[in-house]
Amino acid sequence: MIHCLLIQISNNKRGLPVRSYRTITADEVTIGRYVECTVQLADPRISMHHAVIKRLADGQAHLVSTNGELEVDGVKMQSIALTHGKKIVLGPYILKVEPAPPDVSLALSLELTRPLPDDFQNIKALTQEPLKGAAAFKRKLSLWLAGVIALIFLGLPLAQNFIPQLQATMAQLPLGFDRVWSPGHISNAHLHFGSQCSNCHQKLTQKVTDNACMTCHRDISPHIADTDLQKHAFNKSHRLSDGVRCAECHREHKAPHPLARQDNANCVKCHGNIKAINPKTKLSNIHDFDRDHPGFKLTFSSGNTREVERIPQTDTARLVEKSGLKFPHSQHFGKVQGPNGIWDVRELSCTNCHRPEGKEMRFQPVAYARDCQTCHANQLDVGPEKATIHIPHGTEQSVMNALKVQAPKQVSQYAAVLKSDGCSYCHEISETKKGDALPWKIAPLNINQDWFSKAHFNHASHRSQKCESCHQVEHSESSADVAMPDRKSCLRCHSGNNPKPKRIASGCMSCHDFHSSHAAKDTNQAKEIE
Amino acid sequence: MQRSNIFDYKHYFFFKIAVAVILIAFIAYIAFEPPIGHYGGSWLGYVLGIISALLVFWMTWYGIRKRRYRGSGATQGWLSAHIYLGTALTVLVTLHSGFNFGINIHTLAYGLLLMVVISGFFGNYTYMIYPRQMTENMGEDNLDGLLLRIADADKLARQIALIMPDDINNTVSRACSETAIGNGLLEQLRGYQPNCPTAIAVAQLTLMGKDLPSEQRKPYRELYSIMVRRLSLVKRVRQDLMYRARLGFWLYIHVPFTIALLVAMMAHIIAVFFYW
Repeated sequence: MIHCLLIQISNNKRGLPVRSYRTITADEVTIGRYVECTVQLADPRISMHHAVIKRLADGQAHLVSTNGELEVDGVKMQSIALTHGKKIVLGPYILKVEPAPPDVSLALSLELTRPLPDDFQNIKALTQEPLKGAAAFKRKLSLWLAGVIALIFLGLPLAQNFIPQLQATMAQLPLGFDRVWSPGHISNAHLHFGSQCSNCHQKLTQKVTDNACMTCHRDISPHIADTDLQKHAFNKSHRLSDGVRCAECHREHKAPHPLARQDNANCVKCHGNIKAINPKTKLSNIHDFDRDHPGFKLTFSSGNTREVERIPQTDTARLVEKSGLKFPHSQHFGKVQGPNGIWDVRELSCTNCHRPEGKEMRFQPVAYARDCQTCHANQLDVGPEKATIHIPHGTEQSVMNALKVQAPKQVSQYAAVLKSDGCSYCHEISETKKGDALPWKIAPLNINQDWFSKAHFNHASHRSQKCESCHQVEHSESSADVAMPDRKSCLRCHSGNNPKPKRIASGCMSCHDFHSSHAAKDTNQAKEIE
Repeated sequence: MQRSNIFDYKHYFFFKIAVAVILIAFIAYIAFEPPIGHYGGSWLGYVLGIISALLVFWMTWYGIRKRRYRGSGATQGWLSAHIYLGTALTVLVTLHSGFNFGINIHTLAYGLLLMVVISGFFGNYTYMIYPRQMTENMGEDNLDGLLLRIADADKLARQIALIMPDDINNTVSRACSETAIGNGLLEQLRGYQPNCPTAIAVAQLTLMGKDLPSEQRKPYRELYSIMVRRLSLVKRVRQDLMYRARLGFWLYIHVPFTIALLVAMMAHIIAVFFYW
């Protein structure tokens, strides 16, 4: 039997504690939310049947959990002896064992220490602000992004430029901090030094100068051989900037596009109105190969001197090649009779004698031993049938020597024969002065090798065409004939800057080279006679 | 009723300007192609670049302008111009780049600009659809009103649950005290919370009501309907938070990336003229 005093402590409206006393006498004192409990605690945190106070076998009053949690000093317990001073946490309540007055065996005080929170404040506390801390986050992210970008893309590249020691250190590495400034890929040719920006960008805020290019390209030819004229012309055409720079045409950081500009704009800038650049020039204005390109001029070498003469193709009277040879192309073309009579018919084509050479298909000089001897004898026979002497092909000196050895008495007679009927069959013969050791001389060979010395022509890229479609030599009876194609024959397949139906667009750079436009090549490449 | 919105402001005045700018830029781009292809350093590239840079500065100024209650022109007009010219700006800078991209400051600046514009588009989209949906969701209530009603439901539910068995009481109690709303950025943006205690409580209550004694049937039904009402209220509050979060979230990207863009653009311009 439990005889117990229960002191319930609650707060009144003003927040002051109020005690209410109640004496309970029962076998067991049940505590819970249930209506029929001895001590009913109307709080959702208390179980229906939370605990019970009863005397156990030892006669001591115990608080025993039935379905609720009991805690003493933070330790969960199932059964607690109710000794004086015990403090038991019972959900939101605290149950304390008080000193018992004499008339009861047990005194307990019960106080609600954690009242239910206010529902509105509770749900409000559980509801978050939308995007809490957004402003702080945005500020932080802005600062970080700005800082990182400023450091990597501005600070470090600038530091590298302004601190020479850093520049020197970075030069050892494959990449510099300023790599992030590179606007595009560097062309393959420049890649091996291009990772160091300062190799070309030598001065800050200044465009890349020609000096940077000339470090390697020392021996590049000028556009105009006369340096003063070139300087004048370039300054005149680029009044706003400081003349023509290499980088004007050679644009780096554009790989895989070609480094050199292939368009005509920069050429036409001057050559479209060339008189404005140099009033004394003999050149005519050119905008377009199809429209206003003048007719071709052919380069003739004049005799033994290295000087060349350029003769317009329209001036047909002067288009005579003085090669020193007599060679009718007409007899060396198509089906011809060989040296062994009418049954020996040979088919001759151009490449039998004009042997292509090299990537661009230029031609080796025609050589007697290789090209002529296949059909023609390598010696001349002179004298009567019984005493024929053989004179091998060679210089006039060796011919005379051969005569002197084989027929010392008839030298002058046989020399005259050779002059009129032997060597002169193919060679031009010139008289010598009286008293000269030789009675006559073979005119020196002067076969033109480069007719278009101010342009370049790639035979290889025209190999699908027949030779005679440009070089009409089938009916040429004389080696003085010049069989170079004129502008019109080019225009059959090529057009100017813009493509036309069935014609290929061809700009200035298709034939001309900026750097060697005035470097006329050595046109006379006649070789020693074998 | 507002007569015009940011899109048809002054009969699509800024839309027409944007279209004209884009058309002119495209025509120039096609007509004046440099022989070595388009790039930022051709004269057309410089023109496009200068216009774009000025536009960027001007658009950034909008962020400052809209916080001031003085200055020229209606803020609505400024926003209309901000949106349309911002769209045109994307085209201008793309043409300025000549479609040359790489791993460098120039492409970084371009990428940042795209981020800013795309986030702006998203913001635009949210302002087009969410305000209407917000109104539909809230009706005549406001957020505090809804929260009060939830608190009211809590009080009632707790009271009824007192006489219910422990498991029901615990479930209700947990639902009332532990249901958080808009907990964390992700949940705010989703507008949905997995394992919401109120939703779980409703689901569990359905099962728990089977074996009740007859005198508890009536309060149980009452409790159940209160909890269902609580759940729908909680969902509405969550939805409201979601709209607010989505309306503001794009600025997380738009503003910081604008700052980053300004820095990158300065670096881009300095880089170009330092290594000319």
